[in-house]
Amino acid sequence: MKFIKFLVSLLIAAGLTYVLNNPLGALPALGKLFDPFGGFWQNGGTKSSPDELKLEGIKDEVSVIFDDNRVPHVFAQNEDDLYFTQGYLVAQDRLWQMEFYTLAASGRLSEVVGERAIELDRYNRRMGMAETAKKIAASYKKDDIAFKVLTAYAAGVNAYLKQLSYKNLPVEYKIIGYQPEEWSPYKTILMLMNMRQVLNGGSEDFRMSNVLAKYGPDVVKDLFPDYPIVESPIIPVGTKWDFTPVPVPATPAEIAAKPADKVGAVAFNIPAPAPEIGSNNWAVGGSKSATGLPILANDPHLGLTLPSIWYQMQLSTPTLNVYGACLPGTPGVTIGFNKDIAWGVTNVGSDVMDFYQIKFKDKSQKEYWYNGTWKPTTMVIEEFKIKGKESVKDTVYYTHHGPVLYNRASESNFSKNVPIGHAMRWVGHEVDNSDLMGFYYLNRAKNYDDYRKALTYYKAPAQNFVFADNHNDIAITPNGKLPLKWKEQGKFILDGSNPAHDWQGWIPAEQNPTVKNPPRGFVSSANQFSTDPTYPYYLGWKFAPAERGIRINERLEAMQKATVDSLRSVQNDNFNVEARRVLPDLMKILAADSTNKDNAAYQALVKWNMKNDPYEVAPTIFERWVKELRIWVWEDDFSAQSEKDPMSLPTRDRTWDMIKNQPTAKWFDNINTKDKVETVEDIVRGSFKATVDSLTAKLGPLNAEAWAWTKVKSTDINHLGRLPGFGRQDIPNGGGPGIVNATSETHGPSWRMVVQLDKEWPKAYGLYPGGQSGNPGSPYYDNMVDKWAKGELNELLFMKTKDEKSSRIVSTTKIVSDK
Amino acid sequence: MPFIIILVVSAIAQLFLPWWVIAPIAFLVGMLKSKSAGSSFFAGAGAIATLWIAYALYLNISSDGLMLTRIGNLFSESLKFLKNIPYSISFFVIMALIGGLVGGFSALAGYQFKQLVK
Repeated sequence: MKFIKFLVSLLIAAGLTYVLNNPLGALPALGKLFDPFGGFWQNGGTKSSPDELKLEGIKDEVSVIFDDNRVPHVFAQNEDDLYFTQGYLVAQDRLWQMEFYTLAASGRLSEVVGERAIELDRYNRRMGMAETAKKIAASYKKDDIAFKVLTAYAAGVNAYLKQLSYKNLPVEYKIIGYQPEEWSPYKTILMLMNMRQVLNGGSEDFRMSNVLAKYGPDVVKDLFPDYPIVESPIIPVGTKWDFTPVPVPATPAEIAAKPADKVGAVAFNIPAPAPEIGSNNWAVGGSKSATGLPILANDPHLGLTLPSIWYQMQLSTPTLNVYGACLPGTPGVTIGFNKDIAWGVTNVGSDVMDFYQIKFKDKSQKEYWYNGTWKPTTMVIEEFKIKGKESVKDTVYYTHHGPVLYNRASESNFSKNVPIGHAMRWVGHEVDNSDLMGFYYLNRAKNYDDYRKALTYYKAPAQNFVFADNHNDIAITPNGKLPLKWKEQGKFILDGSNPAHDWQGWIPAEQNPTVKNPPRGFVSSANQFSTDPTYPYYLGWKFAPAERGIRINERLEAMQKATVDSLRSVQNDNFNVEARRVLPDLMKILAADSTNKDNAAYQALVKWNMKNDPYEVAPTIFERWVKELRIWVWEDDFSAQSEKDPMSLPTRDRTWDMIKNQPTAKWFDNINTKDKVETVEDIVRGSFKATVDSLTAKLGPLNAEAWAWTKVKSTDINHLGRLPGFGRQDIPNGGGPGIVNATSETHGPSWRMVVQLDKEWPKAYGLYPGGQSGNPGSPYYDNMVDKWAKGELNELLFMKTKDEKSSRIVSTTKIVSDK
Repeated sequence: MPFIIILVVSAIAQLFLPWWVIAPIAFLVGMLKSKSAGSSFFAGAGAIATLWIAYALYLNISSDGLMLTRIGNLFSESLKFLKNIPYSISFFVIMALIGGLVGGFSALAGYQFKQLVK
């Protein structure tokens, strides 16, 4: 009996301890998590920084001054110490986030979250980002500056890891249940690969090939033109091309692969380029500013997450003093300013990802047809470790174009047919290792020449680098490695057996479009076409819609004596250029139908000032309507939703032009209604009614509260790892995807910056929708969100020396060598 | 007495050792000091629950409860009933149960072990 009593109580005690020390299905190890000595309770609040920190690897004393926004201002005596300290500090605030990006890019998320990430991992692994990052990391020589910077940064991150105990682990590790790994230069490169994918990693080739196959070249030419009807390109129209172009490869007779039979068609997990991924930047010259010197603004639009993609820092040595937004995991400042210059970036939307149809000899996929012979593939076996499961393996075949992505055909189909695959040629696979040096030299640039030199180092993802300095120069350059293509090369799936379809070289870097001090007195970009069609090279047929660019250029054109505040107001501009263009045509059609007179939604549009302001109902109606309208016009002919053969829809630009100028076009007829021929009127009225009906069904009868744009749009800033409760929902904000204030449901200005250049010392403002700390339990996790939503900016503390006095300084930490 | 010993020894040990160190501590104290099965259980459970509640309360107050709110929202996403009670009650109860049950049964097991070998 005694023995049984002992055994039962022992088993309960041991069993409980064991169960609570291990994850339970989806639940984390509850004992570890709830224990106040090590669990989540330890993650609350902000750890105050010590007055002195002894670290192995520091050469000379480093001062880190924290301001009232928890921005570290680093004053080091040499570069090794500077980047070491940057690595240490970023890890201290953002360790989980920076590692998460690298796990995603290298296709290793399943290792920490289990099977549910396996498809994403397979996709990312097949994209070959880890392979490329490995090659880049291995290509550095010991005395390359980039290598020294990367190594010092990694050493700083690892110095932080070394003294990290369980109780101080970021809470995400405790919840998900894993441990951080050592950092290395390779991981920083993965972080850059992640940016290449986010910014340059989409493709419409497959959808366009389906259009071409169904409708032929004339319809493509008419509905999918290579340049929009309304545009305001980045390089102002009329700018002279100041170079002798190199010869462009001749356009082959066939510009697309012959349609594959259905079995070999690509199952496209490749997303189309995301329209929300875009950005604004501009600089006004001294002739337009109140101070007589340039002012520069930038707001990159990315997925809005907590922790934020940006981290603010000031980095200083005796030969360098720079402030700006840094990417966690990446040394240096990515967007920022120093005493003399300021710079910013937006994405270049050129087509840098193409697909090649590959004909394999047999199902072994060991050889493929190219230039009249069988050429061997390289086989790479990828292994995926999965938390709580057996590993799985995936075989990836590489052609000279690049990796073969998924086939729609399942394994069983391979036995019946000789498979056709699709290989990806992507600028993201370029192994140039000097991207970081582009930013390294921008951080140190003093004038226009330094800016131009810095850009020669930067390759991918191509960015529109805007520039301004205190010598009154402004400039903008769509810059990066751009393939030298024949016209429309890669608009459709290319033929992988035809050498004429290969990428055959690059546009010489110095011939990338650029403009310095244009007569209009400002430069700007919003991801629209880099140039008008006079530029001698083909960059792509579709860039981001022109509306943001048009509005920015109008505002800046009209601006005199610009101040920081007037540029801030442009960043927050909610005017809807698309409404100005298309709404009059649409309203004319609605007005002719007398039943609309008493329609509250119609009346709201009549009274609308065409601004996507947060508490207006008209933007809700308009935005939902034009989305619906485009589907009503095109979906019957160009099904984007089709599972089998999805197609691209003609652009909004082309659609609005057709409504205005070709109201009798056959495309307005809905081919799915057999005995009726719809007119443009039917489509406009029908889509309007459908939109209002669906809004009413969802939100109740039209009322200012429930139909308010901000409520319907509902901008969310979710946690990067999608942990519920760790994000911020329903941020009150206007704007929208085609608006200068490009705040959509999930994307938006991820960092807003305005810098007023000065002969003595610049004045700069900025913030991002998040906070410096990546710790969800810290008040600095999301402290900038409310101010961001209101469109306000923080004045940035840019210190001249470490001894400068400021009421905003909260604490100082001296870092010294522990030897 | 066992209550105080378990509380103090656990508080010190937990500064250096993982959370489950409370189990062997309660076991040993239950074995060496407890007078009855019931008192051993309540000493173990009470000591750990008290220790954990007191320390968590301190940490929670000094950080304005920010972390607790996050964790509360995280769990209540799938366990909806948690939304009906303030997190500052429910999560302290859960925590006290976790620590208390481990502490209690370990002390009890220690006491029963002594009965066995006595």
